[in-house]
Amino acid sequence: MWNYNEYKDVIEDGDVVLIWVSRDNVKPIKISSGGVFNTRYGSFKHDEMIGKEYGSQIAVRTKSSKRFGFIHVLQATPELWTQSLPHRTQIVYTPDSSYIMQRLKCGPLSRVIEAGTGSGSFSHAFARSAGRVFSYEFHEVRYEQALKEFQEHGLVVGGNVTVTHRDVCQGGFEIRCGDKTSYEFGKGAEGGELVELRANCIFLDLPAPWDAIPHLGAVIARDERVGMCCFSPCIEQVDKTLEVLEKYGWGDVEMVEIQGRQYESRRQMVRRLDDALERLRDVKKRKQQGVERRKRLCEQLVSGEEIDGDVRPSTLKTGYNPFGKGSRVKEGDGKFEWKQVAKIESEIKSHTSYLTFAFKIVDKTRDEKQAHEVLEEFKDFNPNVKATSKRQEKRQVQQSVSPEISSTKLVKTSQK
Amino acid sequence: MDPLKQLVFNQHILVKLPSDNLKIVELKPNGVLSLGKFGACYVNDIIGYPLGTTFEILYDGNETEVVRGSNSVIGKVRVCEQGVENLGLASMSESSTPQPVDFTKVESSYTNVNLIDIGHKVQKLDHKEIEKMKLESVSGDAIISKMIESHGSFHQKTIHSQEKYLKRKKQKFAKYFTAEYLGSSELLKFLLEKGDVMRVMDLSEESLGMILNLSNIRSHGTYLCMDETGGLIVYALMERMFGGREDSESGTIVVVHENEHPNLDLLKFSNYSEDFISKHLKTISLLDYFEPPTLEEVTGSFVQLSNEQLRELKSNKKGAYYRRLKRYHADMEIIKFSSEVTYDALVVGSTLQLSTLIPRLAQRVHGSRPVVCYGQFREPLLELSHTLYATLHFLAPTLLSVRCRPYQTIRGKLHPLMTMRGGGGYILWCHKVIPAEQQPEGKLVEQAEQVEQAEQAEQLEQDTYEGITIYNEQKDSSDRQIA
Repeated sequence: MWNYNEYKDVIEDGDVVLIWVSRDNVKPIKISSGGVFNTRYGSFKHDEMIGKEYGSQIAVRTKSSKRFGFIHVLQATPELWTQSLPHRTQIVYTPDSSYIMQRLKCGPLSRVIEAGTGSGSFSHAFARSAGRVFSYEFHEVRYEQALKEFQEHGLVVGGNVTVTHRDVCQGGFEIRCGDKTSYEFGKGAEGGELVELRANCIFLDLPAPWDAIPHLGAVIARDERVGMCCFSPCIEQVDKTLEVLEKYGWGDVEMVEIQGRQYESRRQMVRRLDDALERLRDVKKRKQQGVERRKRLCEQLVSGEEIDGDVRPSTLKTGYNPFGKGSRVKEGDGKFEWKQVAKIESEIKSHTSYLTFAFKIVDKTRDEKQAHEVLEEFKDFNPNVKATSKRQEKRQVQQSVSPEISSTKLVKTSQK
Repeated sequence: MDPLKQLVFNQHILVKLPSDNLKIVELKPNGVLSLGKFGACYVNDIIGYPLGTTFEILYDGNETEVVRGSNSVIGKVRVCEQGVENLGLASMSESSTPQPVDFTKVESSYTNVNLIDIGHKVQKLDHKEIEKMKLESVSGDAIISKMIESHGSFHQKTIHSQEKYLKRKKQKFAKYFTAEYLGSSELLKFLLEKGDVMRVMDLSEESLGMILNLSNIRSHGTYLCMDETGGLIVYALMERMFGGREDSESGTIVVVHENEHPNLDLLKFSNYSEDFISKHLKTISLLDYFEPPTLEEVTGSFVQLSNEQLRELKSNKKGAYYRRLKRYHADMEIIKFSSEVTYDALVVGSTLQLSTLIPRLAQRVHGSRPVVCYGQFREPLLELSHTLYATLHFLAPTLLSVRCRPYQTIRGKLHPLMTMRGGGGYILWCHKVIPAEQQPEGKLVEQAEQVEQAEQAEQLEQDTYEGITIYNEQKDSSDRQIA
């Protein structure tokens, strides 16, 4: 089965790929032999793509002219996937999602709760980095869509994503046998009647997160620090969320806002003062010439002299023109000097949402028996003696044993 | 005990103090955790509690032990049920933890109209008395209560002002600390707070997160990396790949370094063993990477011996043989990583000239895989983006920045903080691609296309002066790909 989370080198029949037409036009398609991808620049046969490496540019000759149309075939990543989504729907964009993942230490050991699923773009990013993802969507049609998409991307069967149809504000987060969920009961170690979520990383993208927070107690990990983030566009929502967070014992609360900016790489012509002066001098000189000529002509006319040898100066257009004035100059034209400049995008996402972070440790006790054992184990350790350096240790080992066993074993053993 | 969940011996952790100062501490068995004026405690007393726990240091007057070379007394610890900031003001009325001041009993003023600033004279306790209390290891709360009692015009402050006063005093006298897991974000926070801004290339947590996501870091990938931050970027990559565990068999980071030896100093704070690090992290100098020895050179200069032959060698020759064997393996690895492997991402944080570095370094990055480059300043990345636009091997170079704006997070008083750290750098992101063969004709098309664009641009963007139009050639590399 094609899996979104595995690197692939070559495009194969049945892959879901992203077709990059332009920055604003990135389309996901499923490759099937005999299929055609149509753009207004030409038709691209899927068979032309199969067997080529991912990242390949594909050219097609347009019918009408000798021109070529080009597309790139890319393997989807969560970030490119986000870019391919229609911008109508509310999406958590990469600047926000990446910060949330970093702050909640999302890694292979994370067990994530995401509510709601929405367009599924953040689910893909979580699925890439986390161990398990439990996603909840209360809108039935969106749930079905998300489920279908996750299945197509290989994230459900053999993957790490569970999507459940649920209004978490009403029904909480527990997943039981018989619920409308992609969870397969009775299979694997996590089987049984009730799924043990033990979530340690929570993301709530809900209009009323304060109704969902009270339900979290039943499903979060108890023996470690659990992090959560509420994603709310309005400050009033944040205020209500803070009230509930405090009530349910969440601490280290902080609200932040993320601002992502993009810049266009542009060029500005270098136009020097001296050149501008020189040009003005040139204009003035030629103007002077014209004035003198007219004066001469006038005098000749008045005096009745014959007008002879008068040629209109033809240099008007080809005068000193350092900046290409009067002609169309392409940005970056090699005939001129350019300065590289960055221009901020013309429309910026000035506000996405407020991110409210909070953390909680449910069980703040220690296992006294275990602690006692560890203390016993180390009771003769002297903390004030400097640990032998790697080199010293190596020398000691080398002196006593054969060189093969010189691999250094450091102090970390106690942690396992 | 799990070093990712609980405090264990021989682990580096981040200690957060009431003053918001940070400290990195190694939890040595039977050692002492000394926090200066905030007190001291035994490491053994906090082992086994969950990472992230806040502890209060208590003194009951019977303590005898003192930290070596100082006069701070080693006290006992108690787990705080609530986080540090909750001991403060926001939750004053409902809080279950004992407070130094019961605000319902202290008078406060509706406005500060009667408050006259007479400086420190308003405090009747003098410096010496406070110092004496501190020496006697009186609890922070007791000192603060005493100070409020002896404060001449505390009742004339508004309630907000009283809260602020209390917070300030708590930062000074309270004796608690939070013991946190030392991840890449915490390490970065520590370095920034310490003032090592240049060392970490002005990186911010949000930029670090963005780098990791844009470069699509996964558990089993093979990544090429240059890291001038002393290992912070590499550590962040490792966390995303392995999550602090050492049970992963695959996943490799190849670190190319500019000096003869790599600088990955910060990894000493990570909780990965040296064995695990050397297995998953390979370091190659720029010279070895771009000018690796040939296979013939390596295999030609070394003959592998059989076990029997080895046994016959004298011990000093044996040592020499092992050294040559090690060298041989190292060379073979250099050949592998510089000329055989293709990479799943290129992640760079370097102050070398990027426009000359990245096109060459990205040669071994597989098609459709991301190239992400971090820089403290925008201009070198801008230059790089122009360079990448000019070749056909990089799709849509994008120059971007991310900034996090923190808020004062108190109900009813939500507003952005009045000051925040500047900086955070810039990121260039693109994808490695493989150009089609039809390119020469394509180039012609490109030009035809540009004329078309020009006509459109002329109408859209009339930057006209004296009848001359200057228009944008390439807002987007992709524009030119379509004929």
